[in-house]
Amino acid sequence: MPRLSRLLFLPVCALLGCIYVSYAHALGVAYVINSAGSSISVVDMATQKEVRRIPALREPHHLILTPDGRSLVVGDTAGNQLLFLDPATGAVQQRLPVADPYQLQFSPNGKFLTVNGLARNQVDVYDAATYKLIKRFPVVATPSHLAYTPDSGTVFVSLQDSDKLAAFDLRTMTPKWTVPVCKTPAGVLWLNGHVLVACMGTDIIAVVDPNDGKIVQRVVTGKGAHNLFLSPDAKILWVNNRAGGSTVAMDARTLKVLARYEIPGGPDDIDFAPDGRLWITRRWAEKVAVLDPKTGTFQTIDVGRSPHGLFLVPAAPSPAGTPGR
Amino acid sequence: MDDWFDLAAGWLQENLLIPFLYWSGLMNWEDVSYGWALFALYGLAQVIVTFAVCLPLERWRPVERWANQDAVWVDMVYTVLSRVGVLPFVTYVLFYRAQVTVTGWMADQGWVAPTLESLFPVLLGKQALTFVLYAIILDFADYGRHFLAHQFRWWWALHSLHHAQRQMTFWSDDRNHLLDDVIAFVWFGVIALLIGVPPLQFPLLVLVLRFLESLSHANVRLSFGWLGERLLISPRFHRAHHGILAAGQKSCNYGAVLPWWDMLFGTADFSRDYVATGDPSGEEALASGTWAQQQMAGLRRFLRAVPVGRRVAQG
Repeated sequence: MPRLSRLLFLPVCALLGCIYVSYAHALGVAYVINSAGSSISVVDMATQKEVRRIPALREPHHLILTPDGRSLVVGDTAGNQLLFLDPATGAVQQRLPVADPYQLQFSPNGKFLTVNGLARNQVDVYDAATYKLIKRFPVVATPSHLAYTPDSGTVFVSLQDSDKLAAFDLRTMTPKWTVPVCKTPAGVLWLNGHVLVACMGTDIIAVVDPNDGKIVQRVVTGKGAHNLFLSPDAKILWVNNRAGGSTVAMDARTLKVLARYEIPGGPDDIDFAPDGRLWITRRWAEKVAVLDPKTGTFQTIDVGRSPHGLFLVPAAPSPAGTPGR
Repeated sequence: MDDWFDLAAGWLQENLLIPFLYWSGLMNWEDVSYGWALFALYGLAQVIVTFAVCLPLERWRPVERWANQDAVWVDMVYTVLSRVGVLPFVTYVLFYRAQVTVTGWMADQGWVAPTLESLFPVLLGKQALTFVLYAIILDFADYGRHFLAHQFRWWWALHSLHHAQRQMTFWSDDRNHLLDDVIAFVWFGVIALLIGVPPLQFPLLVLVLRFLESLSHANVRLSFGWLGERLLISPRFHRAHHGILAAGQKSCNYGAVLPWWDMLFGTADFSRDYVATGDPSGEEALASGTWAQQQMAGLRRFLRAVPVGRRVAQG
């Protein structure tokens, strides 16, 4: 909104019962992790401006909401720490020592938290209620991303440096299989009874049989296919291509490419806003792109160095009045 | 200003490094390559800023003038290798891997290595202040490392390469034997593990510190005045450290950026004025050889000085 318009608009709204504030509340907050800046940007989704930064310890990468929705858990890899934030306010709730937390996800049944230790070559399964380590799986090498089966019985982990995909049985806490999958596998996603793997060293995503790890299909998406995300209505599969600098929309059922959008600057993680737009971190541009798939255009938001994980909390109160620092 | 470097590194990453990594099947290095791009660009900026400031100073008020400056060219090679080329990359990768392994093991035991920010939570979010405190601690650690390098015969054998330069200029700061660099790397690696030095959070301030270290080696008649020399190390103060020792003289002024440690431990000498530099006790190749000849000469001297532990007076 132009500054002059807002200057006129705000006093009117104040008189009319702060309609503007209600509107801003509806749009919420985005949390963007600045990996190389060691901080978390708090972005007002209404104004699309960064309003403040939450300091992390060393090098945070990914974040996930706890099953009860009360905390955002940020994995600080080099800091060996989980940072718990109140998703509504960004207030730090606690810091927990955990070795090398890179990619992390809670299982669909809420029982487990799986943490990939990318630098330490380990996949750790924690009790999601107590954060006690249940099982450590040593792997070769560099466990990157992960996905669960819907019944939480198996977790799949891409092993970036050995070009493999590994499956671990969470009922017996034993390895199931580890198989070659493609060059430099990164993002992993469960979709329609299969495991999808983004192959960053190539231009494809691999469709893998979860029972034995065999590849049943390869689909070209773009150079350096890095990460995959399913739209909230489960109809569109979104893939970010790191080397090609593009984001593609695919039919989630047929895996046919529907549209391609140029997103330069190393597109990485995606989250979906209620208005249908996609928020995409651009690792080497210090920016978040807000892509409108209808028009194919995107707006940019300045954040910190090497923005990686991001999480939208549309229900959170607007932080517009919070002083920046 | 940090943003300019970040955007330049991003451009380098997107247009040169990523296409190369993708083409060569090395995309698993894509995160590391961005770190290297930042390191290399800040290193390049260090070289350019140092060159732009120090060269006019050296032309303006040189301590010495030399007809032949071949030895200075070799020092330039050291600087480029150290600040822009392979060394920053190796340092970044090794440092990162080592730090992750050790601190991760400690986290497994339920103990996170202390950092200034965890010891003093008030520092969280105050990046500039935190950096200044880290810089002071690291400068003290460097004083200790440098002092010990002059006390042990084997270590001095390596470190004497740094002191062999008779044509000391701002390029001489990085003139070190590779093994001496490795020791320094391990030394700071251990310190970093103890206090959790953040690797890439304060690159611009690191640039300033490295500039001051280069300036202290410059061939220029420059003093910061009575008070200034007790706050920051000047070219005059550090030149005394590189001076050829007369009979009965001891080495002095081991500090890198801050003279406080020399003052605290009685090794400061503010009286020596623009002395001649060099190390007459070493073979000539250490002073005037090529980069490879200097390295080999340093290695020979080191091997002659082993076994470790004997103390020496020179330097």
